[in-house]
Amino acid sequence: MKKKVAVYKVSFFIVLLVALVTALYLGAYDFNHSVFEIVSTYFNTNTHTADSFVLIELRIPRILMAILTGAALAISGTSLQGLFKNPLASPDLIGITSGAVLFAALTIVFGSAVMHLLPAFFRYVLLSIMAFIGALLTMWFVYKMATSNGKTHILILLLSGVAITALTGAVTGFLTYISTEEELRNITFWSLGSLAGSNWWKVCLVFIVVLIGSIRLLSKGKILNALMLGEKEAAHLGFDIEKTKREIIIIVSLMVGCVVAFNGTIGFVGLVVPYILRFVFNSNYNILLPLSMLLGAVVMLIADTISRTIVVPAELPIGILTAIMGAPVFISILINYKRKLK
Amino acid sequence: MIKIHDLSFQVKDRFLLKYINLEINKGELIAIVGPNGAGKSTFLSCVANEIQYKTKHFLFKDKDVKSYKRSEIPLHRAKFSQHQSNEINLKNEEIVLMGRYPYFKTEADLSDLEIVEKWMAKTETSHLTDREYEQLSGGEKQRLHLARVFAQLENNIENKLLLLDEPLNNLDVAHQFKTLHLIKEFTNQNNSALVVLHDLNIASQFADRLILMNKSSIEMFDEPKKVLTQERISRVYQYPCIITPHPENQQPIILFG
Repeated sequence: MKKKVAVYKVSFFIVLLVALVTALYLGAYDFNHSVFEIVSTYFNTNTHTADSFVLIELRIPRILMAILTGAALAISGTSLQGLFKNPLASPDLIGITSGAVLFAALTIVFGSAVMHLLPAFFRYVLLSIMAFIGALLTMWFVYKMATSNGKTHILILLLSGVAITALTGAVTGFLTYISTEEELRNITFWSLGSLAGSNWWKVCLVFIVVLIGSIRLLSKGKILNALMLGEKEAAHLGFDIEKTKREIIIIVSLMVGCVVAFNGTIGFVGLVVPYILRFVFNSNYNILLPLSMLLGAVVMLIADTISRTIVVPAELPIGILTAIMGAPVFISILINYKRKLK
Repeated sequence: MIKIHDLSFQVKDRFLLKYINLEINKGELIAIVGPNGAGKSTFLSCVANEIQYKTKHFLFKDKDVKSYKRSEIPLHRAKFSQHQSNEINLKNEEIVLMGRYPYFKTEADLSDLEIVEKWMAKTETSHLTDREYEQLSGGEKQRLHLARVFAQLENNIENKLLLLDEPLNNLDVAHQFKTLHLIKEFTNQNNSALVVLHDLNIASQFADRLILMNKSSIEMFDEPKKVLTQERISRVYQYPCIITPHPENQQPIILFG
């Protein structure tokens, strides 16, 4: 078993490296020199050529953002599924993403006066904090709605997500109506999802959040497994259930909020990645958590590379690609469910 | 081992347990018996600290039970619950391994895996390793969780406590007796076990002392021979019975009807 996990880890890592190198070279702009040359010239001369600008200011941050976003969304989805004991729980389906988008959009429209005064990094911090609050509030709401006596009713969970998403849709629609043109562009970008706006500041911020968040979540494998026994049984194994729940809810909100603040709604990654891994490792969260981070990064990087190369010079919104992968998985989980109901 | 003084548990203004006093010694196998709704499972849940009860004092190994650290108590006390989860999408040996979770951080030691193997063999569940948990029968699932609970208490600490809520449900006769022998083996090593049982005759054969519960309190707590009298059992269970000694070990046998 240990060996099998190691093999999967190493192969995902290799695929990630290959995808990374490929992604460096693919894009609307073709480099005249090799990546290595461009970087070394830039550091020697300290001035940007067209090559180095595209590579260092656009492409590399975007690739890093894709990796971080994929890892964050996948491990968030896996943790939520463990917490709610259901493979359908994922940030977008239960409405957390929508909550984050709503707060981010409100911040953009009503906070534009303040935002312009702030330096870039703090603007991003403010935006992610607001998205985090939005995510946390929705998470708290759906959790309270769907859980009674330690049991989560998946139907209520998903329907709460639908309700929140509807509400967000309405408010975002209203905001679109009253917003200026620049704000409008920002809002539209969220509903579609795109990594095009990535820059080093954003990457740094997301990196810090994902690093802290994933270190905490990766240690939750045992307790998420134990929760399958039931909350009382898990408590008999020495776990603090309430504390863990709070921790997971806060961390997932933070990661999803931060990722959504910069990249908009990218659906289904948190659903698809653990779904694939469960075929091989069942629901062993000790294994699922780290592997979902790796596979999430791979999936997102490949999806983003396709999204920015398939209709060159334009871009296909990445949300379209993840939805194409995600919707069939969603349906197949539902079919499984139906079988179990019989 | 356990000293409980004046324990009560109530939901709104209805008492589910009233003024329970109890002292259990190390090495004892104690069976809790009584009719439906007498408070057996509720009492066991109290001893397991699963529900909020009121008590003057509750000492576990001469220390207030609440003074134990959360991470420390699983090494001293384990509970087998009456209802086991039906949806656990794990391999069966991974389920038993959960009993070892208090002992390792992220990776199980070789010794943990050996203990899992040992208890799966002892509960006769080793052959289930390549079957899916959800496809197992009720009795097989039950034995798997017994293995998990026993694996949890496999350590060098002395005087451990095992709480079992109807561990024999769903088990065939042979496995009922095998399970009781496992429990007996455990208590023979100076550990104690508190077991809710339905079958008075099995309780009479195996338990050192019986807790007979009736109407939310303890009717009597003593050796089986003293507790199991025709008058008392007929009254508590509200059904006529005859008591006769077991031909081999002379323990009381109850025949209802």
